[in-house]
Amino acid sequence: MPAVQDTIDRVRKIDVDQYKYGFQTEIAMDKAPKGLSEDIIRFISAKKDEPSWMLEWRLEAYRRWVTLEAPTWARVHYPKIDFQDIYYYAAPKSTPGPTSLSDVDPELLKVYEKLGIPLREQEILAGVQKTDVSELEEPSDNVYKSGRVAVDAVFDSVSVVTTFKKELAQAGVIFCSISEAIREHPELVQKYLGSVVPTSDNFYATLNSAVFTDGSFVFVPKGVRCPMELSTYFRMNEKNTGQFERTLIIAEEGAYVSYLEGCTAPQRDENQLHAAVVELVALDDAEIKYSTVQNWYPGDAEGKGGIYNFVTKRGDCRGDRSKISWTQVETGSAITWKYPSCILRGDDSSGEFYSIAVSNGYQQVDSGTKMIHLGKNTSSRIISKGIAAGFSQNTYRGQVSAHRKATNARNFTNCDSLLIGDQCGAHTVPYMEAKNATAQFEHEATTSKISEDQKFYVMQRGIPEEEAIALIVNGFVKDVIQQLPMEFAVEAQKLIGISLEGSVG
Amino acid sequence: MNIHTTPQRTPAETALIDAFGDRLSLLPGDGTVMLKRDDAIEAIKSGLPTRRIESWHYTDLRRLLTSVPDFDPAAAPNAIAPIVEGSAVLPVLNGVSSTKTPDIEGIAVQRLSEKLTDGSIAPGLDRYGADDAIGALNTAFVADGYFVDIADGTELDKPIELQNLQSGGQTHVRLLTRVGAGAKAVIVERQTGEGAALVSSVSQLLLGEGADVTWLIVQEQPDTATHLAQFKAHLGKDSKLTLFVMNAGGKLVRQEIVVKTTGEGADFTLRGINLLAGDTHTDVTMVLDHAVPHTASTEVIRNVVTGRARGVFQGRINVHQYAQKTNAKMACNTLLLSDDGEFSTKPELEIFADDVVCGHGATVTEIDHSHLFYLMARGIDEKTARGFLVKAFVAEVIEELDDEAIVEALEARLDDWFLAHG
Repeated sequence: MPAVQDTIDRVRKIDVDQYKYGFQTEIAMDKAPKGLSEDIIRFISAKKDEPSWMLEWRLEAYRRWVTLEAPTWARVHYPKIDFQDIYYYAAPKSTPGPTSLSDVDPELLKVYEKLGIPLREQEILAGVQKTDVSELEEPSDNVYKSGRVAVDAVFDSVSVVTTFKKELAQAGVIFCSISEAIREHPELVQKYLGSVVPTSDNFYATLNSAVFTDGSFVFVPKGVRCPMELSTYFRMNEKNTGQFERTLIIAEEGAYVSYLEGCTAPQRDENQLHAAVVELVALDDAEIKYSTVQNWYPGDAEGKGGIYNFVTKRGDCRGDRSKISWTQVETGSAITWKYPSCILRGDDSSGEFYSIAVSNGYQQVDSGTKMIHLGKNTSSRIISKGIAAGFSQNTYRGQVSAHRKATNARNFTNCDSLLIGDQCGAHTVPYMEAKNATAQFEHEATTSKISEDQKFYVMQRGIPEEEAIALIVNGFVKDVIQQLPMEFAVEAQKLIGISLEGSVG
Repeated sequence: MNIHTTPQRTPAETALIDAFGDRLSLLPGDGTVMLKRDDAIEAIKSGLPTRRIESWHYTDLRRLLTSVPDFDPAAAPNAIAPIVEGSAVLPVLNGVSSTKTPDIEGIAVQRLSEKLTDGSIAPGLDRYGADDAIGALNTAFVADGYFVDIADGTELDKPIELQNLQSGGQTHVRLLTRVGAGAKAVIVERQTGEGAALVSSVSQLLLGEGADVTWLIVQEQPDTATHLAQFKAHLGKDSKLTLFVMNAGGKLVRQEIVVKTTGEGADFTLRGINLLAGDTHTDVTMVLDHAVPHTASTEVIRNVVTGRARGVFQGRINVHQYAQKTNAKMACNTLLLSDDGEFSTKPELEIFADDVVCGHGATVTEIDHSHLFYLMARGIDEKTARGFLVKAFVAEVIEELDDEAIVEALEARLDDWFLAHG
């Protein structure tokens, strides 16, 4: 059946090398010299006006890092990274610490506008003003209305703006950049930073501990349900820079927070490194929902350029009955290498991991999760959907373990892979380790292509082939999409359409 | 975690290297074979695999192999009866094959020492990968075994039983079998003995076009023995291999299964039972390559873990890029019956072809309480009821083999184990 012109255009538009966030913006930047040394770390620390304990912490991580070698066990292949050829600090010059949107460089705002990030959208803007007003007039009345999103925008190395800060503060929620948190709330940062991902955890986490430049900090106090979705947008703009952000989210007893991160980068021929660390801490009865829509530049159709996305994400269900849920939609990056994990320490705690990883072109994905059951009656659920097309390699790697004392640990894992084309690969590498007789683990995995039967069923109802495939794929990933916050489910669905249809056509 | 240091040799590594020096003059082989032996011992000199080597992640051989016994020329194991009456028995006693070989039409049997001496099996001595420690150990020390050649079109009515019996010391054995086109056979590989032995055993099987073989590995080593074994097979066009593995003994056991489909229409079935008790470590590792289109495989592994036993199943299915229309399914089910036992499983799929149907499932659990209740409500005491359920769990796999004599023989082995381990 010949495809209609409209479909052809749409498919062409969304081809791999048509990455629509690939623009670059000329903004005056403040950069540290290339390379990494103790001096650079002192420079970063001084730039951020950090207390001395923070500098010591960084230097200790750096000294540890120089003794480590980059790990090679993952199913990803890339030329050796020259860590001395990266700028570890790049910040837009005109940001001496903006407090409201009007202080921000208009060029920067244009960037976020192009990305479709609602920083400057009318309602949000009204929201910003309302915050100012509400402080004087009607406190906390409309704070709990949903449908609004507080945004922290990170541009290269620094956080440029955080919206809705004051409104959140009324609810007792602290949402700011991590640099600000180090200055304003050192007691909280000192207590929790590195308590989930220790500085010496792994090569890239250690590097991050030494050089991290910014990221978000969220603190939701006891009993508070965060009144709106929190969100961070990461943008890598400068050439040859690495982005090393650090996110720390703490939910005290009975608190709830939903957090979303999104990422993009310009189109370049060389590869850029993104090595972030995300730490989540959930105390008794707390719940953290962390969603990622990752759309870093994936490289062009020949596999040139793109982001290396080497990220350590870990949540600690420290309290009883706590819950951490990871949802990720991975469509970007030349290489994605990350395992958002849950340590189920508290009794009756639960962890969830929902993932869609779509790879096309020459992308490589090695992602999955770890569920470490330590407490009693803990449960975890893993739903992973991998879709490989083009020349890409898509690997699910996950670990589920029940320790001696983890009585009644429950896990259900389901990882399905879909292959589109005969040049790509899909791999499943689950590790299951049970050390307790009452543990119940179930794992199932399948790999297949879209069956002719399914396609025929849909097509004989008058739906053209490409739409039929899109429909089946959407059904395939539905379990995961459902877990995303409403606002972003639509965005994620679009992203999947983009990455996939380019290959189906 | 990534700091690399050159570790000192463990006592076991030193013992192996020293033993090689002592044994060298006694080992059969022509120039090529001896060169392969040198390569193999070099691999051992660079260290036994640790958990840092991915394929040995759950079996840190360097740490677990604490001692290596000396060769014991005086050891003399007793002959045992085959599991199926009337089988043609080919015994290897303490690493030495018998000069008397049964005379069966269509079968040529040769002692492996002869084939080592004339160098005709040299190509088969290569390791299959850098992490093939069992292959290296065996190639370095192998002195004997059998080469069984089943002629085209031969249909055997009785099984052949290859017995590898030891009574302490070290034994290194290789069993080669070629099954000709259209031939049909049942082959039993017995691995048993007594004493704290170190056994390495490599079986190689070549299936011709349309050949149909059922291969049973029955491993019942004493709980003091270290058993490092490998089963390698190539499946030709339209051939069919049913491999059954039963591990019911041994202190440190690693059974590797390396199978490759090389002809279209090949069909591979693996059924495995691991009965684990005491303070033991048992690892079954399978690597299955679907290298050509239109091949099929199914694997079912059932494990019962009691006492302080540790069990491992790693199964990797590789589907090569041109192996379209592959149909591969794998399941690994574990009953974990004690709090001190543990089981780790890693079922892997590596798929490079798109028109395939592949799946795997893995479960770890204890006995279903509703099943137990059902039986106990009928007046059966808990212990007996548990026994029923556990036995039914593993016997299910045996019953799939459609040869009555073999099913009976294996169930008898199963009963023996349950009798010994309650």
